[in-house]
Amino acid sequence: MSTSLTETISPTGSFTPDIFAQHLAAQTGLPDWWLDAKRTAWAQFQSSPLPTIRDEAWRFSTRSGIKLDGYAPASASPSAQLPAHASDLPCAARLVFSNNVLAQHTALAADLAARGVIVEPLRDALVKHGDLVRRYLNQQHTNLGGDKFRALHTALAHDGVFIYVPAGVEVPTPIAVVHQASGAGATVFPHTLVVAEANARATIAEFFTSAEPDAVQLASGVNDLFAGPGAQLNYIAAQAWSSQTLAFQHNAITADRDARILALNVHLGGRQARHESHSRLIGPGAHSEMLALTVAQGTQEFDQRTLQTHQAPHTSSNLLYKNALLDSARTIFSGLIVVEPDAQKTDAYQSNRNLMLSDTAEANSLPGLEIQANDVRCSHGATTSRLDPEQEFYLLARGIPKAQAAELLLFGFFEKVLGEIPHEGLYQTIRALIQTKLKK
Amino acid sequence: MSAIEIKDLHVAIGDKPIVKGLSLTIKQGEVHAIMGPNGTGKSTFSKAIAGHPDYTITQGDVLIDGQSILALEPDERARAGIFLAFQYPCEIPGVSIANFIRAAMQARLKDGEELDATGYYKQLYAQMDSLKIDRKFTSRAVNDGFSGGEKKRCEILQMAMLKPRFAFMDETDSGLDIDALRIVSEGIEHMRGADLGILLITHYQRLLNHIVPDFVHVMYDGRIVKSGDKSLALELEAKGYDWVKTELAAS
Amino acid sequence: MKPPSEPEATPAAPAPVNPLAGLDQSVSDFSYDVKYDYDAGTGLTPATIDYISSVKKEAAWIREFRHHALKVFESKPLPTHWATKDLETLDFSKIRYYLSQGAQKPKRTWEEVPDDIKKTFERLGVPEHERKFLAGVDAQFDSESAYSSIKEVVAKQGVIFMNSTEALREHPDLFRKWFGKVIPTSDNKFSALNSAVFSGGSFIYVPPGVKVAHPLQAYFRINAENFGQFERTLIIVDEGAELTYMEGCTAPKFSTSTLHSAVVELVAMKDAKIQYITVQNWAPNVYNLVTKRGLAHENAEIKWIDCNIGSHLTMKYPGVVLKGRKARGEVVSIALANDGQHQDTGAKMIHLADETTSTIISKSISVGQGRSTYRGIVRIPKHLKGCKNNTECDALLINTNSRTDTYPAITVQGQTHAAQHEASVSKVSEEMIFYMQQRGLTEAQAMSLAVNGFVNDLVRQFPMEYSVELKRLIDLEMEGSVG
Repeated sequence: MSTSLTETISPTGSFTPDIFAQHLAAQTGLPDWWLDAKRTAWAQFQSSPLPTIRDEAWRFSTRSGIKLDGYAPASASPSAQLPAHASDLPCAARLVFSNNVLAQHTALAADLAARGVIVEPLRDALVKHGDLVRRYLNQQHTNLGGDKFRALHTALAHDGVFIYVPAGVEVPTPIAVVHQASGAGATVFPHTLVVAEANARATIAEFFTSAEPDAVQLASGVNDLFAGPGAQLNYIAAQAWSSQTLAFQHNAITADRDARILALNVHLGGRQARHESHSRLIGPGAHSEMLALTVAQGTQEFDQRTLQTHQAPHTSSNLLYKNALLDSARTIFSGLIVVEPDAQKTDAYQSNRNLMLSDTAEANSLPGLEIQANDVRCSHGATTSRLDPEQEFYLLARGIPKAQAAELLLFGFFEKVLGEIPHEGLYQTIRALIQTKLKK
Repeated sequence: MSAIEIKDLHVAIGDKPIVKGLSLTIKQGEVHAIMGPNGTGKSTFSKAIAGHPDYTITQGDVLIDGQSILALEPDERARAGIFLAFQYPCEIPGVSIANFIRAAMQARLKDGEELDATGYYKQLYAQMDSLKIDRKFTSRAVNDGFSGGEKKRCEILQMAMLKPRFAFMDETDSGLDIDALRIVSEGIEHMRGADLGILLITHYQRLLNHIVPDFVHVMYDGRIVKSGDKSLALELEAKGYDWVKTELAAS
Repeated sequence: MKPPSEPEATPAAPAPVNPLAGLDQSVSDFSYDVKYDYDAGTGLTPATIDYISSVKKEAAWIREFRHHALKVFESKPLPTHWATKDLETLDFSKIRYYLSQGAQKPKRTWEEVPDDIKKTFERLGVPEHERKFLAGVDAQFDSESAYSSIKEVVAKQGVIFMNSTEALREHPDLFRKWFGKVIPTSDNKFSALNSAVFSGGSFIYVPPGVKVAHPLQAYFRINAENFGQFERTLIIVDEGAELTYMEGCTAPKFSTSTLHSAVVELVAMKDAKIQYITVQNWAPNVYNLVTKRGLAHENAEIKWIDCNIGSHLTMKYPGVVLKGRKARGEVVSIALANDGQHQDTGAKMIHLADETTSTIISKSISVGQGRSTYRGIVRIPKHLKGCKNNTECDALLINTNSRTDTYPAITVQGQTHAAQHEASVSKVSEEMIFYMQQRGLTEAQAMSLAVNGFVNDLVRQFPMEYSVELKRLIDLEMEGSVG
C-alpha cells in the first residue's frame, strides 16, 4: 500500500487536451449547442477528481482499478470483422458501430418511418431533428457518482442512436443496436437516446461487445429512456465487453404518467464494470422495472449502483438484481429507493440476490431506502447464499451430472429475470451469451 | 435379470448410527415393502443408497449385479438405475419440469447423442396424461408451489420417464388424499413389470391395498426384524407395531 | 460500602488549576444554574486533559492514554461523508468536558422543577423517591440499601462491580488488559473523544462459571455515574459465566450538556453470555454519539438490546466481533424519532471465526417530522466457513412527513455462508385505526396501541419494569401525533 502514497494517479490519464481538440475538430456540421455541451463536459471531466476513499458513492469499489491511462483514444479504427449479434433476430432496425463509427445499418421499414418513427445515427439526428434531439439529449443524469465518466462520454461521444416513437405508434419487433470495441487501447462511448411519446411502444436491444476477448479497452456508455404518458418501453442490454475492459454505463429512465419501462441489463464483460441506473417516476401510475443479471468470473468486478426516485404519487417500481459469482470475482450492489415527500401511495421494491459459487468470491450488498412519505409500501431484501445442497442432490439423484446440475440451477436462479425478456428470439440470444460465458 | 443387493448396511447421520445392519435383495420384477414405525431409519436407508451427502455409510455394501455402487456419485448411481422418489421433493425455482426431465434423460445418452425433442415431448405428454397432470405443468418450475399431491405425481412422472431398474419410494403415500393416492398407485402399478424392482417405504398399510407387494419387511431400530408376504402387512395393520416390538423383546 | 460514584469527596491538595478559570463560562443549554466543584471549562486542550487526570488522581499511563486520544480526536475528520451534516453544527470549543459536583449538594428544590417535567414523571409512573434525583434535586438517588445487598451477593460470587474510576485504581491490571482493546481509541472520532475525556461508567468482572442471577444495575440504575457525558464502561465475563446489565431509564434525562459520547466495551470469554440492555430518553437538544462493541470468544453470546428515544441526534451502532468459533451476536434495536429528532442507529457484525452467527432486528418509529435511520455493517470474510447473518429492519411512519432511511452494507466472501437482509416500511393502516375507534378508542389511543403492537415482540425482551415504562413512554410520545 505504501506505493499508493507516492504514486500520483492522473485524473485524466490518456485523455489529454489534444485528444479532445482532435475529437472536436472532427465534429464538423453538428449544431453549436452540442459542441458547447461537449466543451462543458470536457471541462467537468478535467476538473473532477477520481473517486476517493471518502466517496460514499464508490464504497467497496476497487478504486485503484479506475485508472484512465494506458488507452489509445485516437488510434483505434473500425474493425473489418463485425459482430453477428442479433443478425438473425427479427429486428425493426439494426445499427452496428465499430469503435464509435457506424459500420452497418439496416434501416427501419418504410411503413414505420412513414408513421414518424425515427431510428437514426445520432449524428444524422442532430442535424435532421436538432430541436427534438436537443429537448432530450443529455437532459437527465444518473446522480450516482459516475459524473466524471459520464462527462468524458459526452465530451468524446462520436455517434450513437436516436430512437423516437410518436404518440400511439407501436414498433412490433426489437430495434437492435450493437457496439463493438476493437483493438488494444480502444475507447468507445456508445450513446442511445430513446423517446416514446404517449401510448407508444417499442423494444430496444443493445449489445456491447469486443472484437478481441482480452483486449485492454475502455467504454463509457449512456442510455437515456423517456416514456411519455401511457408509453411502454422495453430496454434489454447485454454488456459483453472484453475481459480487460474498464467499463462505465450510465442509464437513466424517466417514466411519465401511466408509463411502463422495463430495463433489463445482463452484465458479463469487463475487468471492472460500473453500471449506474436511475429510474425517475414523474407521473402518477408510472412503473419502472429494473432487472439485471451478472455472471462474475475470474477477478472481474461488477459495481452496480441503482436509484429509484418516486417523485409522483401512485407510482411503482420493482428492482431485482441477481449476481452469480465464480472464482475470485467481486460484485457490489448498492441500491436506493427514494420516496419524495409528496409521493404518497408509492409501491417500491428492491431485491439483490447473490449466488456464491466459489470460496473466494465476494458479494457486497447495500440495499438502501430513503422514505419521506408515510402511505407507501416499500421494502427491500438482500440475500447471499450458495446453491441449495438439497436441490443439487435432487438433480444428481435424477442422474444429472454435477456440472450440468450446477448450470441448470444457475439458469433456474436467473430465470426470474430472463423470463421477463419480451421476445423469444431475444431470450434465446441472451441465454446463449450467458452460456458462452459459462463455458469459458 | 438384475438385482440390487444391500448387505449389512450401517448408516449414520453425523455420529449417530441410524441404520444398523440392514440386508435386503431386490430383483427386477419384484415389489417389496418396508414398513415400520417412525424413526426406525426407513428414509435414512433410502437416501443413503441414493448417495445423499449427509448420510454416511459406516459399514456394509450395496451392489448392483455384484458391483458395489458406494464409490459412485449420486448422479452415477441414478444413471446406474436407482431412482429415489423423495418423501419431500424439493422445489427448484426457475427450472421447468420439461427442461429438467430432458436434462436427466440427455444425461443417460452416450456422448454426442442428442435426445429427440419431438419424441421426448410425445412421451412426456403421454405420461402426464396418464397421471392426470395438466400439460401446462411442463413449463412450471419443478415442484415450485406444487401441492403435496402434485409433488408426488411429479415424482411418479419422472420415474416413468427415466425408467429406472430399482425404485425406492419413500413414503410416496404420505400427504395424499384418496383420489391422489389412487392416481399415484395406478401410476406405479402401471410401471410394474419385469424390468423394475420396487421398494415401497411406508408407515401405513393403505398403499399396499393398491399395490400388492410380493414381500413385506418390518423395520425396527435400523434393521429388518421380520419378513413375510403380503399377509404380514395385514397382520401389522391389525396388531400394530407394538406387536413386533413385544415379539422382538421376547426373542 | 459505597455505590459507584466519583470523584472522591475531596481532592488532594494542591487543587488542580482550572485552565479556563476566570473566563466566561456562561454556556447555553443549562436547565438549572448549578455550581460545580470541578469544572474543566469549555473547550478541549491538553490542559483540559491534565485537569481531568489530576482531579481523578490517575496513573501516568492513563494520562498518556488520554493525551494520545486527544491527538487522534483532533486528527480525525467528522464522518460526514456518510453521516448527517448535522454533526457540523457541533462546536467542540463550546462544550464542557468535565463537570463534577464533588461532595456538594445541588441547591435546587422540587418546587423549581418545571411542571411539564413533573407531569412526565407522573405519567411514566416513576417512583416518587426517584423523581427528585431525576429532576436534579438530589445528587444521588438513595439506593444504598438495595445496592449494597445486591453488591454483597455478587461479591460473594467473586464479581467485581464498581465505577470505572475506582476500578482503574483498584484493579489496574485487569482493567488495562481489556481497556481500549475492543474499541481502540482510533476507531472513530467520538471513541477518540471519549478516550481523551472519559469519566464515570461501570467496570464489571464476572469470574469463570458464575451466573449472575439478577440483572446488574437494575437495582440502582439511577445514579450520577450513569448520567455522565463521557462514560466508559468495561465488562468482562469470564469462561462460562453469564451476566445481564442494564443502563439508563425511560424517564427523560434533563442534561446540562449537549454532547454525550460514551464508549462501552464487552468481553465474553469462551461459553460466556452477556446481555446488555439500554433504554435512553435524552433531552431534545442532545447529541448522543455512542460507540458500543462486544468481543465474543468461542461459543460465547453477546446480545445488545437497545432502545433510543429522544435526543436531537443519536448515532449508535452496537457491534459484536465474533472472534471464536460458534460465537453468536445479536442486536435488538428500537428507535423512536419525534419532531426535530434523528435516530441514526443500527448494528455491526464482524465475523472472524467459523460457524459464527449474527442476528439484527431493528424497529423504528418516526413521528411528526422525526427521522429514523438504520445503518448496518455485516462482514463475513473468505477464510471462514459456515457463518450466518439474518437482519430484519422494519420502519413505521406515523405522519405524512415522517422520514425513514435504511443503509445496510453486507459483505460476504465464499460460498459456505448465508446472509439475509430484509427491510420494510409501513404505516398504521386506516382500517386498523377505524376498527379500534369503532370499539370506542380515541384515534390517539388506537395509534398508541398500534405502535405498541408494532414493537411488542421486541419490548417483551426487556425486563418487566422496563417494558412497562417503555409502553407508557410510547403512549406519551404518540400524544399529539394524530388529529
